Amino acid sequence: MEDTQLSMYQLYKEMLTKYLDNKSEHALYHAQQFSKQMMEKDMSPEETVSLHMSVFQEIAEDLSEEVVDSFDILLEVMIGYGLAYREHQSLRDKQRQLDSELTVAARMQKSLLPSEKIALDSVDFGVISVPAGKMSGDYYHYAHDEHKNVGVAVADVIGKGIPAAMSMSMIKYAMDTLPEQRLQPGALLENLNRVVERNIDDDMFITMMYGFYDPRNYRFNYASAGHEPGFIYHEESDKFENLDGRGLVLGVSKNVTYRDYEVAMNVGDFVVLLSDGVTECRVDGEFIERDQIIQMIRDYKHMPAQKIVDRIFYDLERAQEFQLRDDFTLLILRRKV
Amino acid sequence: MNLDIQLQEGPQRNVVLLSGEVDVYTASKLKETLNPLAEQENKELVVDLSGINYIDSTGLGIFIGALKATEKSNSTLKLIGLNERVKKLFEITGLNEVIDIQANDAREEA
Amino acid sequence: MQVQTHVDIHSEWGIVAARQAGRKLAREIGFGSVDQARITTAISELARNIYLYANKGQIQIEEATSAGKRGIKIIATDQGPGIKEIRRVMEDGFTTSGGLGAGLPGVKRLMDDFDIDSELKVGTTITAIKWLR
Repeated sequence: MEDTQLSMYQLYKEMLTKYLDNKSEHALYHAQQFSKQMMEKDMSPEETVSLHMSVFQEIAEDLSEEVVDSFDILLEVMIGYGLAYREHQSLRDKQRQLDSELTVAARMQKSLLPSEKIALDSVDFGVISVPAGKMSGDYYHYAHDEHKNVGVAVADVIGKGIPAAMSMSMIKYAMDTLPEQRLQPGALLENLNRVVERNIDDDMFITMMYGFYDPRNYRFNYASAGHEPGFIYHEESDKFENLDGRGLVLGVSKNVTYRDYEVAMNVGDFVVLLSDGVTECRVDGEFIERDQIIQMIRDYKHMPAQKIVDRIFYDLERAQEFQLRDDFTLLILRRKV
Repeated sequence: MNLDIQLQEGPQRNVVLLSGEVDVYTASKLKETLNPLAEQENKELVVDLSGINYIDSTGLGIFIGALKATEKSNSTLKLIGLNERVKKLFEITGLNEVIDIQANDAREEA
Repeated sequence: MQVQTHVDIHSEWGIVAARQAGRKLAREIGFGSVDQARITTAISELARNIYLYANKGQIQIEEATSAGKRGIKIIATDQGPGIKEIRRVMEDGFTTSGGLGAGLPGVKRLMDDFDIDSELKVGTTITAIKWLR
């Protein structure tokens, strides 16, 4: 410590002497580089002022008392800046720690989502889900049973970040306890609603759409809890239709019933489920309209489902200059045979 | 965008007039006004949304919180003056089934 | 020999008097100008806390010795409301009540040893020491 202080003193003295001698830009550049070194050595602003004062006193002989005394004021003022500088350092460390905790939590959260792809000849499936921050308030689900019924869901917790992420894991665990309702969308939502209503903050709620494709009658059965309506694309007529469904959002009221809806799926038809992060994308300050989403899907509809969702996400992300405002989830399920 | 809140307090009914946007930035300000009013026993809480052109999901949550509070305090919550876009949001989320809502044309009743 | 100074804090004048006493003792003990400024800033903050939150209290300044080391010890005592959550006030970024905005974490950084003892409705005692190197 003493040694570094001594060498800092020497370096500073050389630098200052040179500058006073020739007033060159080179010496100033040297000072700028030197400041990095001082910060690396954790030198505070008040120490720098003090260093300057003592070096200056040595170089310039017979300094007037006023000049020397004026440094007292500067030193006193710099103490405050020094404290702010150290506080900044400690807050930065704290942020690093929070960041790494968040990274772990985000990894845990990711493991809650299904990881294995659906390997069935009957359907083509694709999903993309990207959080606005590190953790997501969106949840998606897909699974199939031994009869090749394929269940899919998208849920959206209001807000984003950690509180939303904690509620999202609640949906996942509740879903796991309700395997027998996978073929009864309305009843599934009713049960989820009871869990959510008991466990969620008064001013939070969750929207969700759940449905399954039944390969025996080629129908998609679904129910909605206040969720942004999905779409169904009919290949024969080349038309998109809203997957309308009425139902209260989860978490508001204890006993809610949800109606089951169904829609026929011919070969090549596909359903699209999304979170409101898709429709709340703002491009140039304007909300993107559902018609625009449909147009994008239409442009890519010849591609495999996973490609479609990936492309649409990329296009929307790019249009927003790669900054997401809300968690984004888009899912497509197509009947192949 | 900001949110402007005006309050008219009465013996049986409190009326809150809002204008601007109810979103993630203004939601906590609205909550601070609405919740104490919703917790008053046996009252009618009327929120006039005719000056509101946009509500996001966090904003919707504040109305749900107020609804739950009025249910606990034996009071009622009523939303009036909703424009088409705001009304649609309450319909999609099914909240129009649990909150007393009157769209723009019925505003005079307040 | 122990030098000890008591200053009552019930106005901004008291804060200045405590600074003065602190600087004088710090100089006598042999602290350099940077450390003198740090010590007086710490005294300022502690005295301002008393003035702002407890209305009145005392700052005691004395020489400290331990295992051959010399230093300066500041004891700030008040009979104010006490601190409810000490852990919170010691968090960076929690208090910024004007002044330098340094708060107690700032005082802790300026000094070497730091201790708080507080009881609700009874009062608070803060002890801070800086050692001569």
